[in-house]
Amino acid sequence: MTRVTLDALTAVYPGAAAPAVDGLTLEVAEGELVALLGPSGCGKTTALKMVAGLLAPTSGDVAFGGRSVLEVPPERRGAVLVMQGGLLFPYMSVADNVGFGLRMRGRPRDEIRRRAADMLERVRLPGLADRRPAELSGGQQQRVALARALVVGPKVLLLDEPLSSLDAHLRGEMRDLIRELQQELGITTIMVTHDQEEAAILADRVALILQGRLQQVDAPRAMYDRPATEAAARFFGGRNFVPGTAEGGRFLSALGPLVLPEGARDGPGLLTIRPEAIRPGAGPENTLAVRVTGRAFLGTATRLTLAAGDVTLEAVLPPDTADAFAPGGAAEVHLPRCALWVLPPA
Amino acid sequence: MSDRLKIALLLAPALLLVGGLFFGGLAVGVVRSLGVSPALGGAGPTLAAYRTLLADPEFLRSLALSLHISVISTALAAIIGVAAALLLRRTFVGRGVATVLFQLNLTVPHLVGAIGILYLLSQSGLVARAAHGAGLIGGPADFPPLTHDRWAIGIILVYVWKEVPFIGIVALAQMQALGEDWESVARGLGASRWQALRHVLLPLILPGVLAASVIVFAFTFGAYEIPALLGQSYPAALPVLAWRRFTDPDLAARPEAMATALVIALLSAAMIWAYVRLVRRGVRA
Repeated sequence: MTRVTLDALTAVYPGAAAPAVDGLTLEVAEGELVALLGPSGCGKTTALKMVAGLLAPTSGDVAFGGRSVLEVPPERRGAVLVMQGGLLFPYMSVADNVGFGLRMRGRPRDEIRRRAADMLERVRLPGLADRRPAELSGGQQQRVALARALVVGPKVLLLDEPLSSLDAHLRGEMRDLIRELQQELGITTIMVTHDQEEAAILADRVALILQGRLQQVDAPRAMYDRPATEAAARFFGGRNFVPGTAEGGRFLSALGPLVLPEGARDGPGLLTIRPEAIRPGAGPENTLAVRVTGRAFLGTATRLTLAAGDVTLEAVLPPDTADAFAPGGAAEVHLPRCALWVLPPA
Repeated sequence: MSDRLKIALLLAPALLLVGGLFFGGLAVGVVRSLGVSPALGGAGPTLAAYRTLLADPEFLRSLALSLHISVISTALAAIIGVAAALLLRRTFVGRGVATVLFQLNLTVPHLVGAIGILYLLSQSGLVARAAHGAGLIGGPADFPPLTHDRWAIGIILVYVWKEVPFIGIVALAQMQALGEDWESVARGLGASRWQALRHVLLPLILPGVLAASVIVFAFTFGAYEIPALLGQSYPAALPVLAWRRFTDPDLAARPEAMATALVIALLSAAMIWAYVRLVRRGVRA
């Protein structure tokens, strides 16, 4: 069980105008799974490489269990990397792939074979030991990659987009496997991903990174419901932002006065509500008269574009419910107060 | 007109050209090597030329020399080429310039390289003269023979000089296509820098480097001009021997000349076949 501390971690690539990672400070508890989430190019993979020791930070520190590991080379740091797609060595059998780390440590042949077979069983791939990676499906390859990483008993597991290369129906299976093994073995894990869904389903906590800077660290649910900034809200699919002022439990804006949840702070701010939190019809409070300006069928839901005076809102409703909202027509919706959240002004 | 016919017609000119010139030439070569020659009124197909060849000590010494030149040139070019690619793939100031310089002699003909080596390293060359000027040697004969020498050092030098960038560029392209992720994974699993290179990067680039090496081997085994310029007259490299016999005033040497050329072609083909097998097994293994 190892606690991982990133302290003002900064990386500047030579010739780059802005740092790739800018003062990243983050504490990952023992056995915790934290996702570094951000769009591609936000610096999250650079951060992962610094934790692994593959890249020296320009400044700042990486500590495992409170002790700086900057001077420890990657092969002795105990942080193993599982890359997107698995990156199995194509010229080796599955068993040799899994045993690779033990072989590099000079363990005896018998032990390597036994431990590799054990680990293949744990990732539910017994009997594939003699296959070539090319003979496996994408999901199987990813599981072999996980076995190859876990067999060396790492202190820290680093996952780069672990689910991205998998088909939708395999993602759930892989997610369960990663969660199960990670918790069973109690390995502190940092994953990077650009996919908020991947982060939400795997991580205990999510660290949102935009343009090299940490925006917010929180439980996945809180990132959706209580984003810290407009950028964070937008990254998690927030579409509705209304400037105004909070005053005595009410929010005054172009939408008229709206009742806020208890504990809302007074002052200027940006009101946000998730598209799926907007309810059809009149409610006990916060009811708005709107005009339907657009309707798009998304498969499992329908997205409505609504004009409330000069303010445009987006709502996502079940298709059956949304059928009643004909484009061009007038309608009513209400904004439940518990779904309202006020961001600091931009 | 059916598609198949159309394709056949469209391909016909190219096929006729390649087939006529290449296979036609090859067929004439085979026929001549078997001693069939209307002009000489030969005795009909016979393997006499091959039998003579295999019993001929000069031919066997030439064969050994050619293998010596090709094996050593190819091995050195592959080792130095891969090592150079490992250096060039790192990021450093001036890397673009270094890469261009490294590739520059790809554009220089072999012949020019050979003449350069003569000017530089022969016993009356620049280096020898400089050594004489500095009082290091008494005369041209004191300078170690690096051209027209027993060990074909001059020939091998030209080939290595010329083929290192070729193999290096192939290796570099492969390394760049692979990226650093494979080695990163290996390092995390506990491989040292050297182990990651030995057990991960080299096996991954092996197929490409082998392919380039086979081309180098086949070329150095069959090329004429460098051993003709820089080689000893006895034993001569196989292509030189073949040409010498082909231009021999005694027309009876013709079948042997043709047989020599065909042995070169056959051995080159065998090398390529062995390579394909090796790589297929490598991919499976």
